Amino acid sequence: MKRKLIASLLVASMAMSMAACGAKEETKEEAPAASTAEEETKEEAPAEEASADEGKVFNIYAWNEEYKGFFEKYYKVPDGVTVNWTIVPSDNGQYQEALDNALLSQADAADDDKVDMFLAEADYILKYVNSDATQDVTALGVTDFSNTYEYTVQACTDTEGITKGVSFQCCPSALIYRRSIAKDVLGTDDPAEVQEKLSDWTKFEAVAKDAKDKGYYMTASFAETYRPFSNNVTSAWVDENNNLQMDEQIQAWIDQTDKFMENEYTLTSGIWEDEKNAQMFAEGKTMCFFGPAWYFNFCMGNAQDEEKGCYGDWAICEGPAAHFWGGTWLLAAAGSDNPTMLADVMNTFINDEEVCSNLIEKEAQFTNNKAVNDKYASDPDYGNGFLGGQNDTAVFAEMADNIKFENQTIYDQILNEGLQSNLQEFYRGSVNKETAMSNFYKLVNEKYPSIVTP
Amino acid sequence: MNTKATSDGAKARLLLARTLVYIFLGFLTILSLFSFYLLIVNASRSNGELQAGFTLVPSTHFLDNLKNAWNDASIDIPRGMLNSFVVALISALLTTYFSALTAYGLHAYKFKLKKIAFTFIMAIMVIPKQVSAVGFVQLVNKFHLNNNYLPLIIPAIAAPIVFFYMIQYMESTLPLEVVEAARVDGSGEFSTFNRIILPMLKPALAVQMIFAFVESWNNFFIPSLILTKAEYKTVPIMIAQLRSADYSKFDMGKVYMFILLAILPVMIVYIFLSKYIIKGVTAGSVKG
Amino acid sequence: MKNTKKEPEKKIKSVSYAKWGYIFILPFFLVYFTCHFIPQALTIYNSFFENYREGLTQVGPKFVGLANYVKLFTPTAEGTIDILKYTGNTLILWACGAAPQIIVALLLAVFFTSYRLKIRGQQFFKTVIYMPNLIMASAFSMLFFTLFSNVGPVNQLLLSTGLADKQIDFFAYTFTVRGMVCIMNFLMWYGNTTILLMAGIMGIDQNMFEAANIDGATPVQTFFKVTLPLLKPILIYTVMTALIGGLQMFDVPQVLTKGLGMPDRTSTTLIMYLNNFLGTSKNYGMSGAISVYIFIITGIISIFVYRNLTKED
Repeated sequence: MKRKLIASLLVASMAMSMAACGAKEETKEEAPAASTAEEETKEEAPAEEASADEGKVFNIYAWNEEYKGFFEKYYKVPDGVTVNWTIVPSDNGQYQEALDNALLSQADAADDDKVDMFLAEADYILKYVNSDATQDVTALGVTDFSNTYEYTVQACTDTEGITKGVSFQCCPSALIYRRSIAKDVLGTDDPAEVQEKLSDWTKFEAVAKDAKDKGYYMTASFAETYRPFSNNVTSAWVDENNNLQMDEQIQAWIDQTDKFMENEYTLTSGIWEDEKNAQMFAEGKTMCFFGPAWYFNFCMGNAQDEEKGCYGDWAICEGPAAHFWGGTWLLAAAGSDNPTMLADVMNTFINDEEVCSNLIEKEAQFTNNKAVNDKYASDPDYGNGFLGGQNDTAVFAEMADNIKFENQTIYDQILNEGLQSNLQEFYRGSVNKETAMSNFYKLVNEKYPSIVTP
Repeated sequence: MNTKATSDGAKARLLLARTLVYIFLGFLTILSLFSFYLLIVNASRSNGELQAGFTLVPSTHFLDNLKNAWNDASIDIPRGMLNSFVVALISALLTTYFSALTAYGLHAYKFKLKKIAFTFIMAIMVIPKQVSAVGFVQLVNKFHLNNNYLPLIIPAIAAPIVFFYMIQYMESTLPLEVVEAARVDGSGEFSTFNRIILPMLKPALAVQMIFAFVESWNNFFIPSLILTKAEYKTVPIMIAQLRSADYSKFDMGKVYMFILLAILPVMIVYIFLSKYIIKGVTAGSVKG
Repeated sequence: MKNTKKEPEKKIKSVSYAKWGYIFILPFFLVYFTCHFIPQALTIYNSFFENYREGLTQVGPKFVGLANYVKLFTPTAEGTIDILKYTGNTLILWACGAAPQIIVALLLAVFFTSYRLKIRGQQFFKTVIYMPNLIMASAFSMLFFTLFSNVGPVNQLLLSTGLADKQIDFFAYTFTVRGMVCIMNFLMWYGNTTILLMAGIMGIDQNMFEAANIDGATPVQTFFKVTLPLLKPILIYTVMTALIGGLQMFDVPQVLTKGLGMPDRTSTTLIMYLNNFLGTSKNYGMSGAISVYIFIITGIISIFVYRNLTKED
């Protein structure tokens, strides 16, 4: 009991110094050292009462209840603290609208109304990371990133290298292929051999031709390969003078898609459209899809259909380029009046082995903890029936290290989606390429007045 | 007066007209019910089946979807319906009553600012809603009126479009002799409006109440920014929430089921109110 | 305006009751000025400022005079002025949906109220025609989107009956996308218009119809000589609100085309254009300028229509 008391006192005093750090960036240096000391005492801390000078209401903003479920099951809320969830659906951008309103009036809000933590997706995370609305989590005591995947930290680190949150998930995205079609086209369905034959885009395009010759489609959507390209850009969408620039990876995607459309290696369907989904049936003629674990578990219902599906006729490999898709980040709101709890929540979801194991075993998550993931990846008895018994966790664990989150900007979501949807009109044949591009530039100008378009 | 032959001819023409009308109505019925049918079909299909593409044949998951939607942990359907009902009913009552009152004020009385007031209301009717909505939400935030129904209900009192309907309706059906007669009987102005004029406006009130109710019931944009606490959320917010559920819980079958369920209360309100759109209201009261 | 003219003829001594006029219209104006006026005035005010957000960073407000308006009317590299294109789109989409809607609604209203025709099952028909309006616009658009998709039932039907030998991409052609928007708008609103007009006809003194009948007027004569003139105020209302609503058309084309107004922005309406500015960057400057433009355009057309409709008498 006495030890616990000392521990909590320590945490409390830490929190006070932390609160000071939050305001002044220059004291950042000492913070990590101090909080490593805190690490050891952390385990006992949550069970204690929240320190007296911290808020009694912990406000979390989210757009759905996924994380709320995990939080309520696996996080022990300190006594005396109420957790307030503000859940605004993401339809029509309403979530960001509500969140922005709250963050921009954070300074005037009463302590118990201040946002303490909020959730964000990769698509728009930089909008919050590269702003004053979020704060340095290392200063709060989240310092041990040794087990997290690099890209998940890159995504919530601002341009000056300050990390503002953590992700409790990791979503490496794989090339998901039909075994039977691979056998026909490549002569093998073994993941290692298939990977060998599809390990770069030149090989991928050559195989696309072979597939076409045998009467198959390589992909079912013109935008299927967009993410593998756009995740690996070497320059940002805008340069230092705010000029829109087309990275060579994006240009490579356009060139490839032009070729794929012209030669009918793919369909004009969007990535979420029925036409693409229909290709997942047994009678489908498409060899490759790209997606993470959640994709084949929840979006490939057609493939898993009892009558018309092709359960077990699938396998995954890394494909031509490492990339990710989805995932949820927890960001620390600046001005939070619960800094200790905030840090504790984040530490729990990336470093608590028991919690991470539960996320894998009970929630079918691929966690952001390498040690825990690897433990499951090396389990020889584990195999996914949908993938013909392949151990997908092992593939993902290996892939996750190669993923990057570099050269991203706050504009990416709109620019990536806008480019795809405007080019889709060109691929559909309703406009020529110049018009498609000029409509894309129009959209950019409307959405972001500061970006200079050609 | 008519000879037998012409009356036979008239009968035949009437029969023909009636047949044509029924065919026309039948055609419109099919068109109108078709979208409804699609909704029912979709509400009867599982998420997997919905992913498989669209069909016109209902499936067997209607009850599953109903059960799943009803038991969804993140939303409380009866609560949402009750919330929506309260908000929609009160705003519908306020908007019709005060629009009628305003219209009557401009229709029955003569005063200096009358023309200016009328022109002003007509002018603000033309302002697009979309932009002021954003400013309105900011005002609501400033005054901490989030998670409160007042910002959704009170603005309904000033509804230029409903006002316009009321004044046009009065112009076509409300003779001012009625007001004069009431005055002769010693009725006060306010009570004349409430006890004599309002009953004469029944069809117009019913129509506008239906519209106002439906509009409020389906309103998403402003409520979703104002009502963020679970216990205050209305139906459209809950539907949007089901749609932004994470992948393990995402189920379009549930979404369609909820959309279908959400229509039932409005239909009941519609059927109830449309009874008031009946003949001869004016005729009766003028004679009386 | 019309009612002001009317009163002297009726010889109502309303002067002494003037204060009641003010009292009755007071609640409306109180609520208007507290709830609606500030946001609306801000809209106009903002149109003269550079005022938007980049991410969470606020840019402006900085007074720029008429720069936002100038930008709206600056021709693009291809020499077109975008806002005029979207005005045209909006008017076309409105007219194609509204014209059949008002005609059909008028016909139905006459059918339902005619005691010569004595339509049976009126309550059923009245309920059915209003039902599409009960479905949320977004859900309705979702249904249409899947219905007309490349692998949707419409294409399946066309292929299986041999009416088309290849699937038709309904979202690739201006004509088909606009057609879908018009059909949806028609279906969603004709029931609404019908009951509006019906309530108007019900309100007409029934003695008028009886008198016309006794005088031996044909149904067509009754319609043009009795119903239409008496219904005129309501008809004016219908046309005017359809016009105002039409110029603010948004959710149907927005959801159906996912905000793109495809193909080549030919189904982008004015409010969709406004929404592009408002949605991501909270560009109050540009969206304010577009609002003012819509306000002026709607005002001009409304005055023109209103004058023409109320002129004859």
